[in-house]
Amino acid sequence: MHDRIAVLRADRGVSRKELADAVGVHPQTIGYVERGEYSPSLALALRIARFFELPVEAVFSLDPLPSLSQELLRRTS
Amino acid sequence: MSTSPDQTYLARTFDDDRYAWARGRRVRRRAVLAEAALLAALVAVTVAAATTSAGWTTSFFVVWTVGMLGFIPLHSVLNLGIRGVFDRDGRSLDEHQQRLRDRSFVAVAWPTTALHFSAFTGAVAVVALTGHVALALCLGFLLWFAAGLLAYWHLAWTAPDEPDDA
Repeated sequence: MHDRIAVLRADRGVSRKELADAVGVHPQTIGYVERGEYSPSLALALRIARFFELPVEAVFSLDPLPSLSQELLRRTS
Repeated sequence: MSTSPDQTYLARTFDDDRYAWARGRRVRRRAVLAEAALLAALVAVTVAAATTSAGWTTSFFVVWTVGMLGFIPLHSVLNLGIRGVFDRDGRSLDEHQQRLRDRSFVAVAWPTTALHFSAFTGAVAVVALTGHVALALCLGFLLWFAAGLLAYWHLAWTAPDEPDDA
């Protein structure tokens, strides 16, 4: 599973601990998800997506996610 | 599953950043090797003592006691390395920690069963062959003890390194 958690955290200025506390897991679990070493449960994925106020498919994907800058360029060009 | 808002004192200790040094793979694996070597040595000493006519001696008792006391700090380090996931209240574990714990239990299920069986048969064999009941109980205890530790060893050996800035 691929995700944009690290990018979204950087964009929002949120630490792993803040995100972990908000979604009810340990900070290292967020790190494992970001590194692609752990696929979260549906409930956790939904809580993470809700934290960022985004649809879950904008945060997680079974296919590699394009970078946000590429997405932005595509939409503005 | 989410973490409990009311972490127990034990859970807070296992998550304390002062013990981050114990969570590196190298430290965890060294703790596993040290524990396994200690238990193997105690089994060897017990079997060797059983082959003598004297059986239980003061020197054997001293070796056994020192070995068991040495186990305490070793297991403390190992347990800190895996955040004590086998000893904490399940409500203080998140879904990833529970998955790690369950994976290790499943991975060592058959070896654990084999060690439990060998603990029983080993003790019976020592009594039957030598008549040293106390040493038979020691051997059975050590193998039973090792069976209980297999899941700890598996997790400490296989757990991935934690993210640096977690």
